[in-house]
Amino acid sequence: MQKSKPEATPSDPHTDTREPTPGRRWWPLLKRLVLALMLAIAVWCIWIDHEVRRDFQALQWALPARLYARPLELYAGAPVNRQTLIDTLQALGYRAGQEVNGPGEYQTLPSRIRLWTRGFEFWDGHEPSLYLNVEFDGDRVRELWGDQNTGSLALVRLEPAEIAQINPSTGEDRLPLRRSEVPQALIDAVIAVEDQRFFSHFGVDPVGIGRALVANLRAGEIVQGGSTLTQQLIKNLYLTREQTLRRKIEEALMALALDFHFSKDEILVAYLNEVFLGQQGNRAIHGFALAAEYYFSRPLEELSLGELATLAGLPRGASYYNPRRYPERATERRNVVLARMRDQGYITPEQYSQASAENLRVTASAPSRGKAYPAFMALVRQDLARDYDSNALQNEGLRIFTTLDLRVQETLDATLEDAVKRVERAAASGDNGHLEAAVVISDPITGEVLGLAGGRQRGYAGFNRALDARRPIGSLAKPAVYLAALESGNYNLASVLSDRPVTIALDGGQEWSPRNYDDERHDDVYLFDALERSMNLATVDLGMQLGVERAADMLQRLGFAREVPHYPSLLLGAVDMAPIEVAQMYQTLAANGFRSPLRSVEAVTTGQGERLERYGIETVQVSDPGAMYLLEYAMQGVFTRGTAKTVANRLDRNLPLAGKTGTTNDLRDSWFAGYGDNLVGVVWLGYDDNRDTGLTGATGALQVWSELMAKLNIQPRLTLPPQNIVWQKVAAKAVTRADQRQCSQTLSLPFRAGQLPTDTVSCEESESFFESLLDRVRRLGR
Amino acid sequence: MIERVCLVLSLSLLSACATYSGRGVPAPVEDRGTGTVVTPAASPRPDAGSSVTRAVENTPEPVRDTRPADETPIVRSPSTVNPAPTEPAPPAMPATASSTLLAGVDAAIAEGDLERAAALCERALRITPRDALLWYRLASVRAQQGRVNEAEGFARRALSFSANDPALTRQINGFLQGL
Repeated sequence: MQKSKPEATPSDPHTDTREPTPGRRWWPLLKRLVLALMLAIAVWCIWIDHEVRRDFQALQWALPARLYARPLELYAGAPVNRQTLIDTLQALGYRAGQEVNGPGEYQTLPSRIRLWTRGFEFWDGHEPSLYLNVEFDGDRVRELWGDQNTGSLALVRLEPAEIAQINPSTGEDRLPLRRSEVPQALIDAVIAVEDQRFFSHFGVDPVGIGRALVANLRAGEIVQGGSTLTQQLIKNLYLTREQTLRRKIEEALMALALDFHFSKDEILVAYLNEVFLGQQGNRAIHGFALAAEYYFSRPLEELSLGELATLAGLPRGASYYNPRRYPERATERRNVVLARMRDQGYITPEQYSQASAENLRVTASAPSRGKAYPAFMALVRQDLARDYDSNALQNEGLRIFTTLDLRVQETLDATLEDAVKRVERAAASGDNGHLEAAVVISDPITGEVLGLAGGRQRGYAGFNRALDARRPIGSLAKPAVYLAALESGNYNLASVLSDRPVTIALDGGQEWSPRNYDDERHDDVYLFDALERSMNLATVDLGMQLGVERAADMLQRLGFAREVPHYPSLLLGAVDMAPIEVAQMYQTLAANGFRSPLRSVEAVTTGQGERLERYGIETVQVSDPGAMYLLEYAMQGVFTRGTAKTVANRLDRNLPLAGKTGTTNDLRDSWFAGYGDNLVGVVWLGYDDNRDTGLTGATGALQVWSELMAKLNIQPRLTLPPQNIVWQKVAAKAVTRADQRQCSQTLSLPFRAGQLPTDTVSCEESESFFESLLDRVRRLGR
Repeated sequence: MIERVCLVLSLSLLSACATYSGRGVPAPVEDRGTGTVVTPAASPRPDAGSSVTRAVENTPEPVRDTRPADETPIVRSPSTVNPAPTEPAPPAMPATASSTLLAGVDAAIAEGDLERAAALCERALRITPRDALLWYRLASVRAQQGRVNEAEGFARRALSFSANDPALTRQINGFLQGL
């Protein structure tokens, strides 16, 4: 550069005499640099634009699976009383009032309850929102009717209660809404308070920013935000909370791109669904629809102006303005929102003064999800695991319709611990550990599990004894032995068994000498009596005649799915089962020999209600109806004459019922399994370390079972005899020699035609063929 | 182009200064409410009064027969219809829960949604579990779906309740033979 100086002579007119300034010489380089920078920025913009478009189009939140209890069905004759309906409505967040103006409201009148259901998208179709009156007749519904247009109603199904959810690993929870589902007042409130120029700016709002800047400069600190809804959405969706300049620029660019490519409505709805509005433990409440349920236990569309304004105030600081923890702050904030709405013309001054005078009306506590029924939920997860991996359950927003009956489960939860305490005290074993419990309650018709307890304590979430504690079942195995015998055709209820001490040679030279529980012997006993009073020696006598294999086979036909050891001790229940496995066996007995797999899930749909999977009733007949009928005669006798007669008084409204006590060696396990027409229940009591409980099946589990079943109003058995059943008289006392038979006292028992009592015990007057013919002719003549 | 980029950059810078106080951060009451007034939207508001004409509750409670008299007709949202696709029952025989569900079963079969038909049968069975006809209905739905084993189970269960209906018993036995 210095060299060129002397070469330039003033004499040359064509030469530019001006010396190039340093700036002029830098200019081309600078130009290139700026160009390159612009190019880089352009590429950056294009990339951001591309990213925003791609991501927003495919915007899909990880949504938790939601689980529902079985819905309450109302129809004439439904076993629902006034209190049950009120409890159910309150659990569903219905609001009681002096009138019924819309969905989610009810009114109690002296003779009936009037309500307006919300309607629900069930897996088997849409249940419409309906106005109706319910009249009761004691513990049942007498009648349902709507109004003059709808008249009498045959069947109405309430919405199902949401009992739990399976959360994504992010902990975020939301109920995505469509634009049409968002109340306009909520949109007005959000716009008024967060971004009043939302519909006119282009993603970022210079006016808003300017105003905020001035306000902030004036205050000397940040007192106001200039972010638009679009920017807030971008921030939540893409970026971290890091507040660097680059982030800010990126955020603004993205907001511009978003606004350019998508409609205001799309952006608004995404914002309403995304925004963080509360925290419950590790569950983050996102979006206004979920916030409505979380704070008010009601759907968004049922909220008042004031309630919507409360929610609209939360994005500014969900924990600071938490209406449960800081009602004053939340009220103040709500009124700011309302004032903005008034000032911007969204609401009238009258609406403002009315809404700002309202109480907050948030519910005292949020409905807890996923903690309420952990034992049942464990069963649900086990059942779902066959078809769904945890990823699908955590992220796809599935709706899972379970078989849980809230009335049953709540009664179980409310009853169990005290009931166990009562028998524990009575046991007086002197131990200081807790007697534990497990309960399974199911529906004998469908095999649906209605309630479950995995421990004695309500809501206990640890070791699930109902599913995982495998313990010897003791005498609960006996019905299988007796059913196999009755079905074989070689035995009837009046078959005479020997209840005498016996020693049985086992493989390997060992011997087995079973004993009765009370160490007594009853010598000759009828088969039905041996089962009713749970005699071990008579059962071994029967089982050894029959063959252990047949008893083992019957256990499996009744529904026990694992291997059964073929030892003689199996006859007395030396087989380990979890309570749920026992429940499966007794389910089959309760269904008169029709086995239906126990189920906890009825159906799975997508979040939009599209059916994915349905688990219907299945049933297979595994035993002869006649043999089942005879077995049930003895199983009912357990309550009237046998080991369960101590609770006959407590259950006098409910009898006849059928069931069986079970006690294991050294009183380690106390069992009772029993059933009526509408419920099957299995109760186990014992210590986790296998200690002596001091309880038999009758003094322990039966007491808990009967208390529970009385509260659940278990329905009597109304088992009709199959056609081949006849009733005949036998001598009251079992004997093995005809010359000892005493027909002065007789019993009337059912028999299958063709398998009548032997002459040794029968007290029927034997009619000759001629006599019976004559008898018929006489009857005809009459 | 340069202008646009500059605009974006400056806006971003500005917005960076006017930081939106994020989630969970306590913020004092703001004051930016003097700006543009937006015309209120014309759409209905949840608190704007219900479209329902309420029934006036007369005391004492009306007798059952006269009860509709105290119910003023109610104007309902269009979605509010009868609970299930009910066949209009003859006035002498009001629809029962079972008959309503059975009508739904027919409708579902007509639509070709056999799984829904089966589900409605099951719902009806929870209400009247000893109804042989319902079990038989379920059996025939399963048979139509080609689920023969299940059909057999349900038909046998139907038989266990059909003793007092010889015609139905014959029909079920015929069905079982046909499987």
